Amino acid sequence: MSVSPIGRETARVDGPLKVTGRAPYAADYHPDGLVYGHLILATVGRGTVREMDVSLAEAAPGVLAVYTPFRSIRIINDFAGRGAENYTVLQDTTVRFRGQIIGLVVADTLERARDAAALVTAEYTSTTPRTSLADSGPGTSPGAEQVLAPGVGSIDEALASAPVTITTTVSQHAQHHVAMEPHATTAVWQDDQLTLYCGSQGPQRHASAIAASLGVEPAKVRVIARYTGGGFGSRVPAWNEAKLCAAAARALGRPLKVVLTREQLFTTVGHRSAVRQTVRLGAESDGRLIALSHESDAEMPAVAGWPLMPAEGTSAVLYRTPNIRIDQRLVTLDTPSTWAMRGPGEAPGAFAVETAFDELATRTGIDPVELRLRNYAVREPLGGRRFSSKYLDQCYRVGAMRFGWDRRPRRPRSRTDGDWLIGMGMATAIYQGGRGSSSARVQFRDDGRVTVASGTSDIGTGAWTMLAVAGADALGLPVAAMVPELGDSALPPGGSAAVGSGATASTVPAVQAACRSAVTALIRAAVENPRSPFHGLDPADVRYRQGRVSSGRRSMGFRDLLRAMGVPDVQAVENTEGIDRDGPYAFQSFGAHFCEVRVHRLTGDIRVSRFTSVFDVGTVINARTARSQLIGGIIWGIGGALLESDPIEPDGRYAAANMADYLVPVNADVPAIDVHWLDHPDPQVSEVGARGLGELGNVGSAAAVGNAVFNATGIRVRDLPITLDKLL
Amino acid sequence: MPVVTQSEGMSRRELLSRSGVVATAVATVPLIGADALAEEAPGEVGVRMTVNGTVTPLTVDPRETLLDVLRERLRLTGTKKGCDRGQCGACTVHVDGERVVSCLTLVATLGGARVTTIEGLADGDRLHPLQQAFIDHDGFQCGFCTPGQIMSAAAVIEDGRARTDDQIREQMSGNICRCSAYPGIVAAVQQARKEMR
Repeated sequence: MSVSPIGRETARVDGPLKVTGRAPYAADYHPDGLVYGHLILATVGRGTVREMDVSLAEAAPGVLAVYTPFRSIRIINDFAGRGAENYTVLQDTTVRFRGQIIGLVVADTLERARDAAALVTAEYTSTTPRTSLADSGPGTSPGAEQVLAPGVGSIDEALASAPVTITTTVSQHAQHHVAMEPHATTAVWQDDQLTLYCGSQGPQRHASAIAASLGVEPAKVRVIARYTGGGFGSRVPAWNEAKLCAAAARALGRPLKVVLTREQLFTTVGHRSAVRQTVRLGAESDGRLIALSHESDAEMPAVAGWPLMPAEGTSAVLYRTPNIRIDQRLVTLDTPSTWAMRGPGEAPGAFAVETAFDELATRTGIDPVELRLRNYAVREPLGGRRFSSKYLDQCYRVGAMRFGWDRRPRRPRSRTDGDWLIGMGMATAIYQGGRGSSSARVQFRDDGRVTVASGTSDIGTGAWTMLAVAGADALGLPVAAMVPELGDSALPPGGSAAVGSGATASTVPAVQAACRSAVTALIRAAVENPRSPFHGLDPADVRYRQGRVSSGRRSMGFRDLLRAMGVPDVQAVENTEGIDRDGPYAFQSFGAHFCEVRVHRLTGDIRVSRFTSVFDVGTVINARTARSQLIGGIIWGIGGALLESDPIEPDGRYAAANMADYLVPVNADVPAIDVHWLDHPDPQVSEVGARGLGELGNVGSAAAVGNAVFNATGIRVRDLPITLDKLL
Repeated sequence: MPVVTQSEGMSRRELLSRSGVVATAVATVPLIGADALAEEAPGEVGVRMTVNGTVTPLTVDPRETLLDVLRERLRLTGTKKGCDRGQCGACTVHVDGERVVSCLTLVATLGGARVTTIEGLADGDRLHPLQQAFIDHDGFQCGFCTPGQIMSAAAVIEDGRARTDDQIREQMSGNICRCSAYPGIVAAVQQARKEMR
């Protein structure tokens, strides 16, 4: 009996290609006749392009074409309320935000395209853009949601009645995904068929969006995104650069590659909205909540984008309270498109509510862990549904023990080590644990291997390996016998995109279903094929087990069986449905973060010195990649707390639109991180019981850092990031 | 309403012609094997460097960076462009045994240089100890920064400057990993360091 690989440590199957540089990313393709494109971006925040002088660029060596709003190329608006941006690139002269694409130069080499682009000048008529949440807010509410106890007239009334009240207002500027691979597109037309190499979190969605913007049948576009250098949300939509690249390649009749510069990425592929939030807590003196209010103002760019809703995934589902109200407002600004970024609303939302809880703990003198246990929810406080499976209380207890929470200084700024102030903080992690629809194809092959294919994407999540592990488990074969396939829109329709921490939870059930059907198909072939030793038998008398087909004393491995039958492969495709999001259960993954920081007494320098997190995510499919994702999420929280911020200037220019100014964590910012998970499969989500974990680590981790900084210094910083100047 | 004129970027050609430093450097670089470079056209520079053990004569546009030449001309796409500004480390390769960011290295300055990229690190099909260690410790997720991380780590180990975890963290901080596989990277460097002694 082979041991199932589910939950064990399986090395990434794509590892050897990635460590040798042989994994091809979008910009690594070199089709014959390739030419290069370089984008031109607007340098005013709002206005109109009056004219552009392209004469020098056109006369520059090697230049093949210069596209501008005045010399455009037809692209169709495919927004329909679901894309990222509501306008169509180069179809008019309006400048909607600073850094909008207003041109594309194509030349025979990269250097020539880049230089020629720098020769293009633009004249604008400009007006002052709206860039400030504070000046343009409060925003428009899509509708506040609330639950009030019988007899309570309003949330304000409930808060006013509470013996203890806390009001916490937190704020943060824009943040950026900063995937290491700049968005790149290599477009190759052959006859009227387009192959588009690009990074993508969902190649099938990508292909349909590109097809719509080009006005061609979806079947005419194939998106290949086998290796994607990070996504974090920024590779969910097909952005304008990809559409422009595809359209220009068609117009020129040449394969075209457009790679965005790092600086261009800051305004062209989405960002996490700036957001201001106010959490108000009303509690008994023993810490039990009477009321919770969570309000927010976030950007809604005039060009559309992702609405940042920080309360619905945090305060609305976290703690038991008889009175709760959330109001998530959106402020219209002339900023680049916002888009979901890892823990899109949850990461900022958890910073707000978990900071407020720390303030409540301080005010009431109750230990922060105990305070959370006293307010433990078994139902959604706003929606009222029971959780499918919840062991958050164990996360708190196990985490506290592993971390040594009992050694936390009770009084802020009371522990030192030389010139360093030591502090400890904790916070809760929560992220929806849903499962969507998916599809998979499983194929027994006459070389003794099995193809396990799904139209999903691996953006670093480990999906390649997940397919192999799920197939190996379902078929009782070694992981090494699996040949995973993904990242190709030509795979069976209905693959799960790598979004919402749901790709694994969605795809594993599809692989299992396809494996069962492939086994059925193999047995059917075995009894029907005249060259098969099982020919003529009743399929009910033929068994499949661990790669072998047997009946009575006859037994044969599937490879030999296929060869005997003269059949190269036997395959099956299955589609699986997701869980009902409006069904009886609320699906959430949970965790508890514990953090120790050291803050220099004289310089304010902040070092995260220890981190322990314990998670409840249902079944873990691959321990190795799961640990990496959880650790990555935690480090994102460290970055969010201490480093990441892009203030916008009044003219619409981002102040930190490069990797030297927009700081993300580097190796020296990160201590050893202790990640642990509980082993409680979720019986409601699927047979395998996996709920998903890609974003969970990033939720609450920034608050744990902030709470530790408060414990170390006695200073509560509510405007992120917590930089040393705020501690002096 | 105000009218704004855009003329943001100076072309690199302009920069080269205006900047005495760069222009002089290009002109005075000793071009080893320049005799073999008869094809050199006006405005181009002949360079012979050794890439992964293979002598590689090239005639380059003086604007061409080592990164772009590796990727676009030699088709060694294992070296990645993450920022093109020396801010992220994804393009790290070795020049004469030292780690450099290839995006800030002009090929015109590399006459006679020995360049090693990620493609030249493994011994045939046998992975370099660092490559295996990165797999063993999951020192990557998306894999895009990985060639640069590994080339950086190889130089750091060779230098002998990184023994403790903290030293490794410091020495490897020029290589950004947005997936944040940092703990795995530190563990991988430690494992390989012991094997490479």
